[in-house]
Parts: sequence; structure tokens; C-alpha cells
Amino acid sequence: MTRWRTPAWVALACAVFLGMASMACSGSQRESGNNPSTSAGIDMTLLPSKNSPIIYFRILFHVGSQDDPAGKEGITALTAALLAQGGTRSLTYSEVLQTLYPMAARIDYQADKEMVVVTGQCHRDHLDRYYPILRDAVLKPRFDPADFSRLRDEAVNYLVNGLRGNDDENLGKWALQLSLYPNHPYGHVDAGTVQGLKSMTLADVQAHYRNRFTRDALDLGLAGGYPGDFVGQLKQDFTAALPEGNPSAAPLPSPKMPEGIELVAVSKPCIATAISAGFPIDVTRRDDDWYALLVANSYLGEHRTFNGVLMNELRGKRGLNYGDYSYGENFIQEGGTTFPVPNIARRQQYFSFWLRPIPHQNALFGLRGGLYYLDKLVRDGIPEDGFQQTRSFLLTYSKLWAQSLDQRLGYLQDSKFYGISDYLSEVQRRLPLLTKEQVDAAVRKHLQSKNLVVAMVTEDGSASLQTLLSGKPTPIHYESPGTPSDILGEDQLIQKFPVAVNQQHSRVITPADLFER
Amino acid sequence: MLGAFYSLALLGLMSPLPLMLSSASGPPQGARVFPYPTHRKVLGNGLEVVVVPFDSPGLVAHWIIVRVGSRNEIEPGHSGFAHFFEHMMFRGTQKYSEERYNAIIKQMGADSNAFTSDDLTAYHILAGSASLPQIMEIESDRFMNLHYEKEAFQKEARAVLGEYNKNFSFPESSIDEKLYDAAFQIHPYKHTTMGFLRDIEDMPNQYDYSLMFYDRYYRPEHCILLVVGDVQPEEVFTLAERSYGPWKRGSYTIRIPQEPPQTGEKQVRIDWKNPTLPYLTLGYHGPAFSVSDKDMPALDLISQLAFSETSPLYRKLVLDDQLVDSLSGGAADRRDPNLFVISARIKEPGAIAGVQAALDATLEDLKNHPVDPGRLDATKSHMKYSFQMRLDTADSVASTLAHILELTSDPEAYNELYRTYDSLSAADLQEVARKYFQKEHRTVVLLSSDKAPGNGKKP
Repeated sequence: MTRWRTPAWVALACAVFLGMASMACSGSQRESGNNPSTSAGIDMTLLPSKNSPIIYFRILFHVGSQDDPAGKEGITALTAALLAQGGTRSLTYSEVLQTLYPMAARIDYQADKEMVVVTGQCHRDHLDRYYPILRDAVLKPRFDPADFSRLRDEAVNYLVNGLRGNDDENLGKWALQLSLYPNHPYGHVDAGTVQGLKSMTLADVQAHYRNRFTRDALDLGLAGGYPGDFVGQLKQDFTAALPEGNPSAAPLPSPKMPEGIELVAVSKPCIATAISAGFPIDVTRRDDDWYALLVANSYLGEHRTFNGVLMNELRGKRGLNYGDYSYGENFIQEGGTTFPVPNIARRQQYFSFWLRPIPHQNALFGLRGGLYYLDKLVRDGIPEDGFQQTRSFLLTYSKLWAQSLDQRLGYLQDSKFYGISDYLSEVQRRLPLLTKEQVDAAVRKHLQSKNLVVAMVTEDGSASLQTLLSGKPTPIHYESPGTPSDILGEDQLIQKFPVAVNQQHSRVITPADLFER
Repeated sequence: MLGAFYSLALLGLMSPLPLMLSSASGPPQGARVFPYPTHRKVLGNGLEVVVVPFDSPGLVAHWIIVRVGSRNEIEPGHSGFAHFFEHMMFRGTQKYSEERYNAIIKQMGADSNAFTSDDLTAYHILAGSASLPQIMEIESDRFMNLHYEKEAFQKEARAVLGEYNKNFSFPESSIDEKLYDAAFQIHPYKHTTMGFLRDIEDMPNQYDYSLMFYDRYYRPEHCILLVVGDVQPEEVFTLAERSYGPWKRGSYTIRIPQEPPQTGEKQVRIDWKNPTLPYLTLGYHGPAFSVSDKDMPALDLISQLAFSETSPLYRKLVLDDQLVDSLSGGAADRRDPNLFVISARIKEPGAIAGVQAALDATLEDLKNHPVDPGRLDATKSHMKYSFQMRLDTADSVASTLAHILELTSDPEAYNELYRTYDSLSAADLQEVARKYFQKEHRTVVLLSSDKAPGNGKKP
């Protein structure tokens, strides 16, 4: 069951679909992970559409939670929150809300590892009234102590009561990410840590804003029906107000590959077990192999579709749970859609699979199932018909990823981050040239089923760990008869699929052990 | 300056939406808030077909809305069945097996899914318009000829349990479950769309009932076919007649129990096992949806005026006193009278009584004093712009229209609804507030935990 889908507030545009042609882009192309100093002017991404009545802003800064100083984890996200939800020097946040209200205009933000983006949209009727507020929110933030207190409370509550207490699936996802990146700039939740947030002062945030939200860190995105002379004003305002200088993003250390199965079992009261598992990969959208992995991953576990092997085998044939998917890069779903949000680009990515909560008694079978089908893909490669179908699927499905101008704008900014002209066009250009052999080679090179971090949110983590260590089979328990013999036969293989647990690197914890510092 | 200029012509993007709002001081009264021409036809078998041409080059959204939801689950032991059946609709026919159906959807590169609510089940596909004949072929086939074995049925029942399990960690799911169970005595709104856990656990044993359920409700007279996108209406009508024309009418009629008036306040306490901030929820019995009667439109305006980010209550509880970090209030559009639900997540357990007093004071103020005319005008403007600005893609237009079509069958109903909003005065809102915000008609749910390790206040 899904709810009524609330269309994303960030969108108005025509759909991009079969008419989308490959495009030649001009302009800035960032080196991946390297923010070049642009002393003269600012970096902009423009996507005009004269007939669109809506104007969209994506004011993107190349600063993220990777730049949070030790002990101040969460400062980048909190700074972005204070821009979008903290008022301007001339208007309190309450006054901002009151002013935007009749226009149904918004200012919001998104924060990830390497970038934050302040997003805005308004009807073109209101640009003259809306833009000064958005401009001042970013360039002249109020930094009111009351807003700081409110937004810091929100962040702490998100960690303490949200993730730890009441969102098992995201708890599992974050337990995975934190365990993939120990002693690494990616190694904390973007919202921060409890102690990092508690130790933070408003002065810290103001200093972080001055140092990191600079002209050279900016990619100013604008789309929709804005007047022609508006770009000049925008450029002038942001160039004049923001300071130069942006310490280049520090080189990232290579993430440590898991050695065997490194289990992170989070014990808490729950009626089913949520599982996320994965490992770092050295492939991003800028690499040739990415496009082969795009096909392989879609075949294995395209997000929230009935296309993937995991979904069909674990949910469809066995009724284990609600859904089972895999990802070749960090993925955050956009609202009620099945598509990813833009502007979460990263220099380093990870492969993962996500098994939605499984009744405890079948959880370890489910885990083995995920590993088994991943192993099968690595071992046997993608079947020829699966390759053809999946490639055909992606060639059209990828055009749905950015149906609105706003999403399209975000994709263009991400393409610059990765140093490619236009990712969506790259998909169209590269996939027809792919061969099954190239996909299989990329899978063999980058994917494997033996060395993963496995995060489980479950009732009794110790029992799960001990069972896996024992090497005993973990059979599935069907509650009704009639499972076809071929599935029962494969169950026999899955239930004893080797899981080489690295006991030394495994741990059983409680939610309170996560996100504290 | 490093500028990147991207041409829409190169992208194949066409000129988009003819949004009609064009007043710098607010949208003009009487403007058509839903601006797109609609085309409607009823087939001989009773199937309503609605087509909305939309400037989405090469793209079409195909929706089938079935007027069956948890409201139809009037027989004991079968709560959640409409939603479960939504899952079964993906299990194939003799002509198009589940695997074949999925392969066709995949070949199209389509986005396909479904959802269920209290009053409806909707099946939607977003794909290239060239695929529309094939979509009609496979969709009409499953609506007429669904076929599944008991084993597949039982497997899918466990996927539904999995969906319940994934929701269970959220306090909001439990609050919904307990609130509606307490507030309603006999109307099927008593249970959520997911259904009671005991009924979900028994679903594998209800194979025969599922066949009867399909026979009752998956009939053309209960359904609406909605097509939005790069299409010609007459071509769609022809396709619809060819694909869905042979669908036979059914004969089942349902009598929904009418809920008697609530005569006294009810209180429910939920002790949450995991750390959480307390949630205080008030559910007042409200009206059924209507675009012409003023009650529901007035409550929609009250929802904004009293509980949105610009309300005095939000300013006090969230921004100034910072006792609450989440506040909402509003009534769901439903065929039968439902609840106006107010919810606050409170940052300090000691503030619960004070927050409830503030909520009560807000409702009393609505009853005793007319709202500020300037704020009322701002709210009407906000709602119109907000509505139009989300009509951004073929799928969002379809999603928005599906909601009102299920309730009214009238593609013009949004325009009537917004005319009703325009007509409402502060006195109308005061009258409606007095009618519905009565203590004896409400259910109060408090969810809290004694395991909260920290409330986040003043870290």
C-alpha cells in the first residue's frame, strides 16, 4: 500500500521522455571532488524554459558532512538548515513564512556527504517578491539563537528518537554506512552526532558558514520561466556577497574493504528484522564501468520495481517480506516516487542490497538469499535475455528520472560534479553500445558476495551472530504448503550458503551505541 | 564566471503548462484552478473513461481507479482485504502470467505501481504513449481475467504481513490504528487500510473469499479509467472500448453501516516500547467530502489557518516556545464522514498538558472569534497556487485528478471546490468550527514511552 502521492513541491515542468535527444553541453565541468577556484564570478547551471510559469533554484554548495570538523559533526547540515529555515537579517523565520505563504513559494534544503543545496521555487508572478527573501536567506542569514536551538533540537531528535527509536529500516541503512566508513569523512550521519550537535555553538555555525559557503564552492542552479535579465542580477548579487575561497575538499582515504562478513547486529524491540548489506566500490558515474554496473544492478534489484531478481525470488516466490532491492550508489528516494533525488553525488560510492523487514525466524534465510543471488550474478553473469530486457528497460526508464525541470537541473549539477557532460544523455549514449560481456566483466571486477558489512536491526542480535558463526543451515519456515519443488530445491542451497563471519570485526550493539559521537 | 547553459530544445523539452494564475496580488476569484480540458465518456458497461491531453511529449499516464478500499471491508475478519487484493492483481492471468506481465512492463521501461486507501484502489503506469495500446491490453486482461493459484495467494499474504512489519516501527502507524479503532464503532473506517494484524495473519486462509472479492468489486461500474498525457481523446476512447468494452457488469451492492454520533470523549494511551517523543493526537468526527457543501471546504481552510506553518499556534508551540517539533491538523477527503485529526509531537513530556491546552484554546478561538480576513485571503491564495504548482507532470495531474474522480466522477469538481473556497467567509468558518469541534465528539490518543533517553530539548 502506498499513500496518496503528494507531488514533490519542487517541480513544475514538462516531462522529458522519448523526445529527449543527446545534447552538447558547454560551460563548467568540475573535476570530480576538486572544486576549482573561480576567482572571477561564480559557477552557474542554467536551464531556461520561457513558457514555464515556475522558477526553480538549486543553490548548491560543494560542502558536506565530510567537511564537519571532528567533534562538530552535523555542522554543515545545521548551517544549511539555518539558511533555509532560519530567517534573514531583515525578516524573522516566522515573517519569512508569512511572506511566502500567499505565494505558496518555498525554501528548503538537502544535505549530504559532499554537497548541500538550498532549493527554492516560486510562480513567476512572484519572482520580484520571492527572490529577495531567498537571496537574503542564503547571503544574509539571520542566525538567530532561537532558530539555532530549534533546528539543533530537531537534529538531535532525529538521531535519538527517530533513527534509534522508530525507523528500523533507516537505522539499518545508517548502521551499514557508518560501518563501511570508520575513521573516514563519510563516517557519520549527515545530521551529525548527538555529542557533536550538543557541543556546537551558534558561533561555530557562523564561522563554518563564512569559511565553507563561499563563492568558489557555489554552483548556482536556475531553471524555468525566469526573465532574461534575471541571470545577471543573480550573478551580481551572489558574486558580491559571498567571500572567495573554498578549501578544496580533502582527499578521501580509501575505504577499508570488509574482510569476510562483518556483522553489525543492532538489538532492539521489533517485530521483524531489517537488513542492509554492502561494500565500498571504486566506481562512480564518471567511470566506463558504471554503465555496465547500472545494468547489472537493475537486473539484480531495481529499486521498488518487480524487475529485479531479489524482488522476484525473495518476495514474489517466497513471500519473505515487502521488498528487496540493490544499489550501485547511494540512493535516496524522492518523495512518494520510485526515483532517486539529485544532488547527493559522492566521490566514493558503495554497493548495497536492502531487504525490508523479514519475520525474525526467516531473517537469516533472507540474508543468505541476498548473498546467494548476488553470488549467482557474479558467478554466472547476467543472462542474455536479462541483459537485453534490462538495457531496454533502462533506456526508457531513465528518462523518467528527471521529469521536471527542477530534477533535470539537479541532474545537470551532478553531472558537473562527476566531470561528465550530462549523465542522462550518457546513459542514452552508452547503453546501446554495451555488451553482455562488458557487463559480466564489470560485475566480476567490482562486485562480490564474500566480503560485506551486514547491518541487521533485530530483536536478538547475539542469537543471530551465534547462529551464523555456528555455520548451521538457516532454513526458511513456510506457513503454508504448496511451494513448488524447484523453489524448495533452491531453498536447500540458500539455507546453507556459506557466510564466513569475521567474528573479530562483528559486533552486537544497541541503538544507543550509534550516533553518539 | 563559469556558466553552463542548457538548451531545452536540445533536450526535447516542450513548452509546458498553461497555468492560469497570473495576478501579482493573488489569483483572481473564479479562475479555473484545474486548467486542462477534460474529456469524459461512460462505456456501455458502466466504465467511466476520462482523458486529459497534456503537454508531455511521448509520455502517458494510465490509471485505473477502483472504488473499493478498506471502507468496503464490512465483514468481520476481513479488514485489510482491499489492500491485499491490490497485491494479488499483480499475480497474472492465463494469457499474461505474472512473469510475462512484468516482462512487458519492463520492456516498456514503465513505472508501474498501485496503492489502496480507505475508499479506493488505484493502479497506475507511466510509460511512452506508443505503449498505450499494449498497456490497455494487459491491464484490461487482468481486470477481467485475473487468475492465481492458492500457493501464490498464500505467498502474497506474507508479503502483506511484511508491509505491516515495515510500518510497525513508526509510532504514527500505531496511533492511526488505535485512533480509528476507538473513534468508530461500526463504520469500516474503524480499521486502517492495512487492517488489523489478526486479520492480516489470517489472510493465507482466505483464498475463496478473495475470489468472491474480485467478483464483487472488479467490475466496470466500480471503476474509472483515467489517461493523461500525449494522447488524442478519440483514440483513447476507441482503445478503451476495444479493450475494456467486453468487461461484464457485476451485481453486488454494498450497504455501509452508518456510524452513530459519538456521545462522549474517548481517551487512548499507547505505551511505546522504544524511545520516542510523546505524540498527542485529537480526532474529531467530521463531515464526508463534498465540493458544494461548505463544511469540508471550511475545514480545509481551518486546517491551514489554525495548523499550518503560518498559524499563530505553530508560531507559539514550534517557533517561540519550542515545545513541539511537529504540528498538523486536517480532515481527509472521504466518501463517508471521517475524522479531523490534529497531531503534535511534544519535545518535553512535562509539556503535554500545556500543549493540549493550547490546542483546545485554538479550537475555542475558532468557535468564538472570526478569523482575520487578511489571513483568510492569504490562505485562499496559498491553496490555489499550491494546487496549481504541483500539476507539473502527466503523472501528477493524473494523481491529483484520480482523487477527485473517485469521489465525484466529475473532472470539473476541483474548479467547483475552489469556487466554494472563494465563497467562504470568516463567519462560515466560525459556524463550522462550532459544529465539529465538540469535546464529546473527539478521541484523544497519547503515545509516549518511559524509555526516552533524551528529548533533544536544550542539549
